[in-house]
Formats: sequence, C-alpha cells, structure tokens
Amino acid sequence: MKNASVEKVSVGFISMTNVLFDDVLINFGFGTKEEKKNILRTSGDKNVFMDLTCFDPAEFYSEFPNLHGTFAALFCDETKKIEIHFKEKNEIVLLKLQELGFTPVETSIISCGFVFPRTIVQIINEAYFALDEGVASKEDINRAMKFGVNYPKGPFEWSEGRELFVKTLLKELLEKTGDQRYLASKSL
Amino acid sequence: MMNLQKIVIIGAGTMGSGIAQWFAQQMCTVELVDNSHEQLDKALKSIHASWDMLTQKNKIGMDDALRMKELLSIKSLDQVSADADLVIEAIIENLEIKKDLFKKLDQTFSAHTILASNTSSFPIELMAEAVSLERKPRFLGLHFFNPATIMKLVEVIKGKDSSVELCRDLYAWFDSKDKKPAMCKDSPGFIVNRVARNFYGEPLRIVEDDDENKMREVDRVLKEVGGFRMGPFELMDLIGIDINYSVTCSVWEAYKRESRFAPHKLQKQMVDEKRFGRKSKRGFYKYD
Repeated sequence: MKNASVEKVSVGFISMTNVLFDDVLINFGFGTKEEKKNILRTSGDKNVFMDLTCFDPAEFYSEFPNLHGTFAALFCDETKKIEIHFKEKNEIVLLKLQELGFTPVETSIISCGFVFPRTIVQIINEAYFALDEGVASKEDINRAMKFGVNYPKGPFEWSEGRELFVKTLLKELLEKTGDQRYLASKSL
Repeated sequence: MMNLQKIVIIGAGTMGSGIAQWFAQQMCTVELVDNSHEQLDKALKSIHASWDMLTQKNKIGMDDALRMKELLSIKSLDQVSADADLVIEAIIENLEIKKDLFKKLDQTFSAHTILASNTSSFPIELMAEAVSLERKPRFLGLHFFNPATIMKLVEVIKGKDSSVELCRDLYAWFDSKDKKPAMCKDSPGFIVNRVARNFYGEPLRIVEDDDENKMREVDRVLKEVGGFRMGPFELMDLIGIDINYSVTCSVWEAYKRESRFAPHKLQKQMVDEKRFGRKSKRGFYKYD
C-alpha cells in the first residue's frame, strides 16, 4: 500500500477529512448531506468509503456508484469500534482503518443511522425529554442507566459534544420515516 | 446521616427477598413479611443458601453471615415491629391491593416510620392517597432493580407530598452504602423504565420483521460497538417478551400514546404466538 495523503475539507463548521491512497478515498467527519454528496460528486475516479453516521447509506449507494462502503464513526468512544458496511469487502480499507486506530465491525445491515448511532440517539433523546420535564438531573439519569441496566455509559456521557450529530440523525430519521417518534426534545 | 436500623419488607417474592437480603447485608434488622408461610420459608432458605455460598467463596466472613442470619426474620403482618424505621412494599403490581396494604401499614406503624413502595408502574401519588395526611411526607417510592443484592441502582422517587428533606436523607443513606441512588420525580417509568424503552423499540424498527439473522446481527453490533452487555433481542428473550411488551404498553398509555413509546407490531405478534422468550423456549430466538 502506498503512503496515504490526508487533506482537510473545510466545509460547514466542522471539517471533514479525506484520506487518499491508491484509488481509494476515505471520507471522515461530520458534514451536511449536501456536503457529503459533493465529496462524492468531485471525487473523480476514486472508490469512496464514507462516514455516513447521520444519514441513510441506501440513499447514497443508489445515487453514487463510486461509493463502495459506508461507516459510522461519529459516536465511537475510546475503543474506536465502528460499524462498517461494504458493497464488496475491501481488505485494504479495513487495514487502513486499523492503521488509523479504528476497529471496524462489519455489518450487512443498511439502515439510516446504522445500528448503534440510531439506537443511541433515541436513548439520548428520551433522556433529554426526561431532563426537560424535570424528572431527574443529568447526573442521576446517567447514574440510573449505568447502575440500573448496566449501560456502559450514561446517555449524557454519550451525547457530550455530539449534540449536533444527535439532532442531525433525528431529523434525517424523521424525514425518512415521517414518524413523530424522532422529533427532537426541546433542549437538544 | 439518617439512621436506618429496623426495616420491614412486605412481599417475599424475588424483589422483596432480594431487598431484604441486601438490607440484612448492611447489618440492619430486617423483618420479611408475606401472606404465604410457604413463600416466606422458601425466601429465607434461599437467602441463607446465598450467604452460605458467599461464605464458601470467601466473599463474606463466617461471623458476618451468622450475624446476618440473626438479623433477618420472617413474620406475618400482625407480628411485625410497629416501630420500624422503614417499610418497603414489594408485592404484586395491583394498585387496589397496594392501596389497601398501605392503609393498613399506615395504621400499624408508628409516626416516624417511612413507608415506601418498590412499584415500577404506579404513580406514588396514587398510592399515597391511601395514607393519612400526617404520613404523606414520609411516603415515597424506592425502586430497586433485580437482582437487588447486585444491581446498585435505587430510584428515590419523590411523590407530590413526600418530604424533600426525607428524600435527600435517604439518597445520602443509600449513597453511603453499597448503592447508587438516583433522585427522580414521580412520572411514568421513572428514569430507567422510560429511557430504556428505546433500547428495545429502535432495534425492533431496524429489523422490522421476524428475521432472526438480522436480530442476531443487531445484538452483535450493539454489544461489540456499543459495549452493551446483552443485545436487545437476547435481553427481551431473557426478561420475557410478554413482560417487556406489557411495560412498553403501560408507559405508552401513561404518556397518552405518545409515538416515542409505541410498541412495535413484532412485540404483539410474539405475545400472540406465545413466543415469550427463554421461558417458553421460543422468542426472537429458539432455545431447544
């Protein structure tokens, strides 16, 4: 494998990062749906692998044949485990992600928001609803979920610094499904 | 710091006996009460066996185990010590039966006794209707989690008339012991049974249909990536799909059928097909 080059893509207020090597482009980070699509439109003949934590991979696959795999890294913790879906398994990309410190966990499920982010944003959203209604403090909600049902983290520990990702995924799920269950809480 | 020495636990089922065991392990005097002598004997035997096992494994000392056995007794309601510091009700989840019991407890116990319910589904406010005006400030919810000797959480639920100071004192007392208390308002599902609903509801919507392979994959991803000890489908099979569905429906109704809490069609389908999980050898997975 040739050495990879890394470029920052300054779009929106959070930068995305493109890692380029051979004929591959791996796009990391948060961007709006349009910003993500622009990366795919302008990636030339590269095979693209993209972080689509907050969006529906199915929509992107159908629109962009140059998209070969998608992953969800925006909610990963210190274990750096991320869900990844390949159209066709690519060992070199898996190795590159490992070199970058990630532990990819392959899945065949294509779902808006993948499995872990989609589940966790709904838990976080409900915790915010409870907080808005004065049911308990953030600390007590975190504590209750960790010591009552053995969650590895409390909902507010998961969401800290990631509120934008939570809101974006909820909005996407609401638009995709039309189901009011994805309406974000007031304080989110 | 509050001093809790004499505890009465009403109901010798799984939760009641677990709570009784935990309090005895804190070296409190505990009276475990039930209508059924058979149930009381069974609970006492099981608690003693648990302490014997812990002694064998060197988790507790022989002297401590003997002391705990002395501290724990089984009684009928008319034999209890009326001067208990704290009484916790852990009987069947039936509002009318609970209210009848609290009316009796209010009359039986002395003015300083704190009355608490371990309910997971009824508002504390409704149960407090059964007690006198004088007792209302000393009435609250104390929600333990199963198994009570292992799970650290106690939800301290402040009812409309519960004394704030009393709730804080109890919080501090549990915090000083082997528990992690969480203070919460008297609202449906309290904290855990409300916030945890989506751990089941969302994966059900990801798989959508009765597809065992997909469920297995969702369980695997949530354990590997999310760090959960069990996946939602294996957990629902363990808890009982019927029980989980019933809690879901109860929270959904309590929130006036808010779509965030709506049960999924698969849950009803499983219950209709008597696929309750491990206990019926068939749930989301097969157990042969």
